[in-house]
Amino acid sequence: MSVRHGQSSYRDRTGEFFSIVESLRRSIAISPATNNVPYSERREDLNKRSEFTKRARSIGLAISQTSQKLSKLAKLAKRTSVFDDPTQEIQELTVVIKQEISALNTALLDLQVFRSSQNDEGNNSRDKTTHSATVVDDLKYRLMDTTKEFKDVLTMRTENMKVHENRRQLFSSNASKESTNPFVRQRPLAAKAAASESAPLPWANASSSSSSQLVPWKQGEAESSPLLQQSQQQQQQQQQQMVPLQDTYMQSRAEALHNVESTIHELSNIFAQLATMVSQQGEIAIRIDQNMEDTLANVEGAQSQLARYLNSISSNRWLMMKIFFVLIAFLMIFLFFVA
Amino acid sequence: MKITALLVLKCAPETSDPVILANASDVSHFGYFQRSSVKEFVVFVGRTVASRTPPSQRQSVQHEEYKVHAYNRNGLCAVGFMDDHYPVRSAFSLLNQVLDEYQKSFGEAWRSAKEDSSQPWPYLTEALNKFQDPAEADKLLKIQRELDETKIILHKTIDSVLARGEKLDSLVEKSSDLSMASQMFYKQAKKTNSCCTIL
Repeated sequence: MSVRHGQSSYRDRTGEFFSIVESLRRSIAISPATNNVPYSERREDLNKRSEFTKRARSIGLAISQTSQKLSKLAKLAKRTSVFDDPTQEIQELTVVIKQEISALNTALLDLQVFRSSQNDEGNNSRDKTTHSATVVDDLKYRLMDTTKEFKDVLTMRTENMKVHENRRQLFSSNASKESTNPFVRQRPLAAKAAASESAPLPWANASSSSSSQLVPWKQGEAESSPLLQQSQQQQQQQQQQMVPLQDTYMQSRAEALHNVESTIHELSNIFAQLATMVSQQGEIAIRIDQNMEDTLANVEGAQSQLARYLNSISSNRWLMMKIFFVLIAFLMIFLFFVA
Repeated sequence: MKITALLVLKCAPETSDPVILANASDVSHFGYFQRSSVKEFVVFVGRTVASRTPPSQRQSVQHEEYKVHAYNRNGLCAVGFMDDHYPVRSAFSLLNQVLDEYQKSFGEAWRSAKEDSSQPWPYLTEALNKFQDPAEADKLLKIQRELDETKIILHKTIDSVLARGEKLDSLVEKSSDLSMASQMFYKQAKKTNSCCTIL
């Protein structure tokens, strides 16, 4: 039975379960001799099962902790004013949350592998497999929701920073030179992080878009480095030192070229990701096409069967009338003989 | 981000004053009565800075609210008055272009000039207007800007491709359900057809 997408609903039947266990235990206590060996086997099985449940429990706990931290981060990001900007805390928290999310990803993948190995080796009942599948899917969806929230918080933070930059421009004309293009000059910090982020999340489609949102967030981080450079340049110009100025000019040209090259690299990465995604989706489209063809063939066959049935029904009346005639003839003979 | 003036001067050796070869300024944002004084100011500061720029060197000086960039190349000097927001690199690449253009159009005739030429050079005025936007002057900046726009567009594309993927997933489920249902339909039809030939 395939597990449906969307929210998995469950009924809480722990009370019934406990009563059944009690009754079974009583029946086991009545005949202890014969049940020793299977009891130890069951113990082993229980251990393996409890290993699975232990892991699942720890993952669930970690997910809830991460979502708590995420709500704290969201509050911080909302709260920032122009002057009292807890950038340091926010960045630390973001890094911590990102690490936790990636750790949770790997743990969840391990859990999946563990579960499939259990399924292969053990003689699991159907209920066990569906239960473990449901648990794993539930954890997956919870993690996906957490990642989505994380992405939303990051977008909100970048928007806030944009608003702050605009406000700062209004108030101080000095700083405006550095802040006019906050998102034009970027360091390619995000490219590698984005690529590695999407790799451990192949199962969650929505979360790989979090990598794309991480890029504009990292741009905010990278503001500081072009800021420093340009203020450096200003100082040197004002001191009218010739040789450093030549150097800074050449250096800035070289740096701009490097930026362009790294941007092109990022673009090639993005294109490669796009190509893989589209090819995967192409395969899905082929499957859809096949399904539709099967459906068409089935429906056509069924239609021909029904048409034949209709024909036989309508043409059968002659046969039926002939049969009835024979029956009536027999009845007549019967009546003749009796009466 | 504004260019207020562009000057081309001949920088004689240190003693004598530089000779202005071409001058283009945009004083439209000053009041009418200030325009001539601003032009004078431009001429004077340009001469001073050019005379203090050693050959084959670039220099940028902060004067009141303008940055004056000067580039001296073998005695031919280009000076630009820009505001603080204009990126330095674009300024110097613009001065480079101006110098190249001047040398192309006037050759070496400027070396003999002894007094300020008052003929306007249309290229310079045109350059002043065109290069108000630093991206025009600096190809690198333009390329960087276009690449960033492309990146944003690509991010949007990836988002829409992900949405398409989700829709395709739902479609594949629905189509598989459809094929199951149609198969059941076919079996039912065959069953009703095959068993009732007697009746």
